[in-house]
Amino acid sequence: MPDWPRMRPSGDSAVLLEFDNRIDPEINRSVRSLALAIESDPLPGINEVLPAYRSLMVTYDPLKIEYPRILKKIKIWTEKAARIDLPPGRLFRLPTVYGGVHGPDLKRVAETVKLSPAEVIRVFSETRFLVYFIGFICGLAYLGGLPESLRVPRLPTPRTLVPAGSVGLAGGQANAISTDQPSGFNYIGRTFTTLYHPQIFPPIPFLSGDEVQFISVSEEGALEERGKKATDFL
Amino acid sequence: MKAFEVLHPGVHTTIQDLGRPGFMKYGTPASGVADRFSARVANSLVGNSPGAALLEITLFRLELLALNDFAIAVTGGNLSPMVNGNPLPMWQTFFLKKGDRVAFRARKQGFRAYLAVQGGFFGQNFLGSRSVFVRGLMGSILKAGEILETEGAGVKPTSPKSLAKDMIPPYPADNFLRVILGPQEDRFTPKGIETFLSSEYRVSPQSDRMGYRLQGPAIEHLHGADIISEPIARGAIQVPGDGLPILLLWDAQVSGGYTKIANVISADLDRVAQIMPGESLRFRAVTLKEAHELLRKEWACFEQVQRFILEQTG
Repeated sequence: MPDWPRMRPSGDSAVLLEFDNRIDPEINRSVRSLALAIESDPLPGINEVLPAYRSLMVTYDPLKIEYPRILKKIKIWTEKAARIDLPPGRLFRLPTVYGGVHGPDLKRVAETVKLSPAEVIRVFSETRFLVYFIGFICGLAYLGGLPESLRVPRLPTPRTLVPAGSVGLAGGQANAISTDQPSGFNYIGRTFTTLYHPQIFPPIPFLSGDEVQFISVSEEGALEERGKKATDFL
Repeated sequence: MKAFEVLHPGVHTTIQDLGRPGFMKYGTPASGVADRFSARVANSLVGNSPGAALLEITLFRLELLALNDFAIAVTGGNLSPMVNGNPLPMWQTFFLKKGDRVAFRARKQGFRAYLAVQGGFFGQNFLGSRSVFVRGLMGSILKAGEILETEGAGVKPTSPKSLAKDMIPPYPADNFLRVILGPQEDRFTPKGIETFLSSEYRVSPQSDRMGYRLQGPAIEHLHGADIISEPIARGAIQVPGDGLPILLLWDAQVSGGYTKIANVISADLDRVAQIMPGESLRFRAVTLKEAHELLRKEWACFEQVQRFILEQTG
């Protein structure tokens, strides 16, 4: 038995399982393998399995299952996870318009990283971002894999409202805002495909392990896809 | 059946049920009633299953016009419910007649009241629940002029039921919330933990169903407030860089990158629902084992109340 994952309670109805403290695709694979091992061997009283970057949370009903029993079972799940072959992720190719009103931070990002706006668009749109996990609110996908050449800090003061579909970057991360919401990311483009629908299951198109590419198209081309589901662009 | 016309929507009134657990991995919090005991009891008093959709009423000013004859029950915080200008008795079945006006006049105790209607309220279904979650585009707060309908058309009239006096929770209870430390208690200095457990914190006016921002002595971190983003459990207390704790609640984000010093135990979350902005609270650490025992006790207490109500049938 390896000594990972570390297990500790997160309140009285959840246990946090932690792998190495880094954002790394391989560590995230361990997270996803363990999540899959738990979901494919469910235990009554376990409610949810929530993968994140380098940890996952297992929520449970303390009226239905004893904590020590979960810890014991986690050891078994971890052994099973080591033998799991993760299914390959899907690749989403989302039509995206860069710059102008749809990407208000493109020029500044270009100046900061000392590239032309066209170069920023090329590097960004060629990147296949890994969906590490889904979280925050309204199914925001945490995207990793931003090239080193595009590292820019977050805005000192977050914008109070960024429109849904805005495509942005900050630190080593990227995202596409799923609904209108505040954000401190730098927005360089926008996709008009639907990234969140509260009446459809699942409400968001991505799953952890998927990949996303933001393909550069004209404004006209991007607007043509308004309201289409992101899953139409697999 | 048409139940009410909304004459005044109140400060923040929403339809809630027991929420939509199971969708956090899709970035959706469970939402649902804040005070589960009060909501379940209100439903039981009108013969509904405990998880039927009902109104969660915050503070006061909600005013409703009854459009039919039917039974209701009001529980939770005392927001001075009135019917046609007379006090409406809480924690018992009450029969409304067409044309009756129900109003919530002033907050006396607690913060949130629950109004259940025989048959349960109709509300739009999002991912298997009728709980309104405004930020997730799942329904909206009540609006003036809105007509509220019940789920069932011909629900049989229920016989009046009530609680024994000692079954009604006191508001406010003492202001101690019990917590389990962690998961990042090791990211705070011993002094920081001491500050957290010994200080009084005031609930700021910028508090809602997402979370309560707390004002008081800043909590000292060991080395910074940021962690790699991870899932957030209900009742988590995160401490960002300014050292002021935020208690994350029913409609909170499901993941975040700030250190969490502790988590309020499940048995105390109903009490959190009845704490009003401006009031103060303190934290006391318990063990995981104690938290689970307290939850079992709380559940046994609800089951006893439930039996007491059901025995009044007939």
